[in-house]
Amino acid sequence: MSSEDFAARLQAAIARHVGAPGTIHDLQRLTGGANKTTWSFDADVAGQREQFILQLASPRANDESNPLAGVSPHLIAEEDARLMIAAVKAGVPAPRVRAILKGDEGLGAGYVTERVAGETLATKILREERFASARATMAKQCGTILAAIHRIPVAEVPFLMKLTPAEHIAAQRRIIEFYGFHSPALELGLKWAEQHAPRNTRHTVVHGDFRAGNFIVGENGIRCVLDWEIGQSGDPMQDLGWVCVKTWRFGGKKPVGGFGTREDLFEAYEKASGQVVDPAHVRFWEAYGSVRWGIGCFSMGTRGTEEVGIERCAIGRRVEEPLWDFFNLIEGRD
Amino acid sequence: MPQSTPTATTLLEAAVKYLETELMPTLDGYYRFQTRVTVNVLNTVRRELELRSAQAQAEHARLVAILGHDGEVEALSVELAERIRAGAISIDDPALRAHVRQSLADALAINNPKWLTR
Repeated sequence: MSSEDFAARLQAAIARHVGAPGTIHDLQRLTGGANKTTWSFDADVAGQREQFILQLASPRANDESNPLAGVSPHLIAEEDARLMIAAVKAGVPAPRVRAILKGDEGLGAGYVTERVAGETLATKILREERFASARATMAKQCGTILAAIHRIPVAEVPFLMKLTPAEHIAAQRRIIEFYGFHSPALELGLKWAEQHAPRNTRHTVVHGDFRAGNFIVGENGIRCVLDWEIGQSGDPMQDLGWVCVKTWRFGGKKPVGGFGTREDLFEAYEKASGQVVDPAHVRFWEAYGSVRWGIGCFSMGTRGTEEVGIERCAIGRRVEEPLWDFFNLIEGRD
Repeated sequence: MPQSTPTATTLLEAAVKYLETELMPTLDGYYRFQTRVTVNVLNTVRRELELRSAQAQAEHARLVAILGHDGEVEALSVELAERIRAGAISIDDPALRAHVRQSLADALAINNPKWLTR
């Protein structure tokens, strides 16, 4: 499809789902991931110029021939959009969905959201002076936002994959077996997780990838939480542990995303949710999250150079970083 | 057969020097980022050439001590992974913990030495 055809189809989609005339300005491709591509554009809608983001699923993203499809959570575009709609309704700063593409627009599966201004690059947020007051408040914001995410009624998003902690670990085991990894460090990490998995946990909506890098940040803090595509339901403490995983501190010294303290995170979460946070329970998810990210690195580095290019290959060589962090965590050296 | 010169390490150093000092300043955005990743990958290959052989010898000795028999280092490592999975060796075993910790430190010394001191 030529870029003129693409813009014309997008205009027709905006006119139909959002408002006429839908004239498109400044269409720019932002990223092209393995699962989706992201576009930024403005459009004239009912006499106003509005700012939008378009997310399109890659044709192969939900390929049923993928032998690992259904093993771990992955939402199709429409479900992703429906989860964000439920999140906004529950008071979460998530992208506001303006259109879910039906497929007959000629653009494939995807959705259009309002564009939120701000910074997503974690290294900039951690270093630049203009974000100093944002950094001071973000751990508390994370606690309040997570409490709101965990309040989303599961019945409103029945398509989410349900995973107990034990099922979560079993899914990672199947991924390792599929790729034929034989790593003593990974096996030790998974065995540790199997032996320490929390039981009888609460069951709520879980974002699944709530971390620095997936936040749009302004000078007053987090404006929007992105990347809902591995949303799931399970133990809510998973999200509190994941935001502390050392990889997602991007070189920052503080445990929550490099910018804040666990005390701030837990206190704000408890206040907003009425639930007591057990730090050891969160620590399990931080340690297991490190193992899971190690497996993610392994998988990415294994998919072949023709498919992934040098950046993904290099990620394959990062597998030991989270596993090293895992060891330091379980041996009390962090 | 005598080793060819310049050595592989020297060739990699020359390639990295060209990419970093001559090519990168002319690039920005996507191409600059990809070239940065390429430089990192070439440095990883150089460190592997320099370090891996001695590391593999020590790894072999540790694996033989834990498993109680000889073999190729890769096969021994696969066997250890399978023993951990099967529960045939405790994950709290001090020799196992020390081995895995050293193996991770060795790999990081090649793949990203900075991570060890973070």
